[in-house]
Amino acid sequence: MNYGRELLKGNTDSLLLCLISRQPTYGYQIVKELQKRSNGYFQFKEGTLYPALHRLERDSLITGKWQILPNGQQRRYYYITEKGQQVLAKRLATWQDFSTAVKAVLQAETT
Amino acid sequence: MSSISHYLNRFKASLHIDQTIRDGVAQELYTHLQEKTQELEEEGLSREEATKIAVQSLGAPELIAEQIYETHAQGSWKEALISACPHFLVALLFTSYYWQNIAYPSIILALTVGIAVYGWHRGKPIWLFPWLGYYLLPVVVSGILLLSLPQNWGWMAALIYIPAALFVFVHIMRQTARRDWLYASLMLAPTLVTFTWFSSLGRGNELLASDWAARLQTNALWIVVSFVGLAAATVAFIRLKQRRHKIISLLIPPIVILFAVVAASGGNICYWSWLLLLFSLSAFAIPLWMQARDYE
Repeated sequence: MNYGRELLKGNTDSLLLCLISRQPTYGYQIVKELQKRSNGYFQFKEGTLYPALHRLERDSLITGKWQILPNGQQRRYYYITEKGQQVLAKRLATWQDFSTAVKAVLQAETT
Repeated sequence: MSSISHYLNRFKASLHIDQTIRDGVAQELYTHLQEKTQELEEEGLSREEATKIAVQSLGAPELIAEQIYETHAQGSWKEALISACPHFLVALLFTSYYWQNIAYPSIILALTVGIAVYGWHRGKPIWLFPWLGYYLLPVVVSGILLLSLPQNWGWMAALIYIPAALFVFVHIMRQTARRDWLYASLMLAPTLVTFTWFSSLGRGNELLASDWAARLQTNALWIVVSFVGLAAATVAFIRLKQRRHKIISLLIPPIVILFAVVAASGGNICYWSWLLLLFSLSAFAIPLWMQARDYE
């Protein structure tokens, strides 16, 4: 089992909610943002992003709207909902507590 | 055919959900592939190389389709209970002598037709298909009743009725199967359960024994078991996420019904009835067989 991949899988929803909360965005841009912000750390098959987005939309955490660009291309932009913002805030708080606790334990091990 | 079109066709062929949602996701993947290809071309790659890398980076279309299916195919508990309701209502008819009083079956029939028509015109939600199955029942039963009219009238009515009934039946089946063969199985289940029980009422060489009503009442407990089994399978079908699990849930009703019919008759079923019983059960398996073909 790849531990990094499992960690990413467990936190995909929070990462997506966080990116979408900053500005309405679409699938390909999310992939690029994730790779850019993580300095290429997050490697995954890009197609798996779409089931995750649809799961968040089904749970009413985000909402998708089609937009037609001047060149005629269609993009589906995702917006965070109020429920999504609340869930994100809770998850961020939980993550901070968890991260602090893990760091404290690991530092105690190494010192 | 370009590799992008080929990729999207594989994706669509693997995804058995509402066509609007399927086309929407396919459009999202198309936009993604177009943008990635364009970006790679701007970095100096040829069109062919860029497309190949873009397609590879998305991953297997079948895997994306499976994950999207799991997101959209699982109904809520509320939807599961609504879809099991008609089975419970029919089971209720046989818990006592309610089925012999024309008022109760008529109320259930009117309710079923109303809800089926409502659901059909409201985007065919996941809970609709069992109701549609009961909606088709009167279509079949009316055809059988027509045969009891005075001889010439019976045939004349049948000549007009059968093509019209077939049209309705085929139209609904095609629309449902286009979305998903499994929904067609779910929809056919009530008709086949009823048909199977009807077939078990024969005796000797008679298709329908003269004491059929008394025999139906004697078998009431087993009929209730059949419809409750069907309701349980429907709830499981709606709630399960994975397609293969849904298929397994659809195998429950034929097994329960076969067991119930044989137990109720003590194995004493006439030749015609065995034939009808086997026909009903094999007809139930056709949509599942169509699904298995898709997997090949």
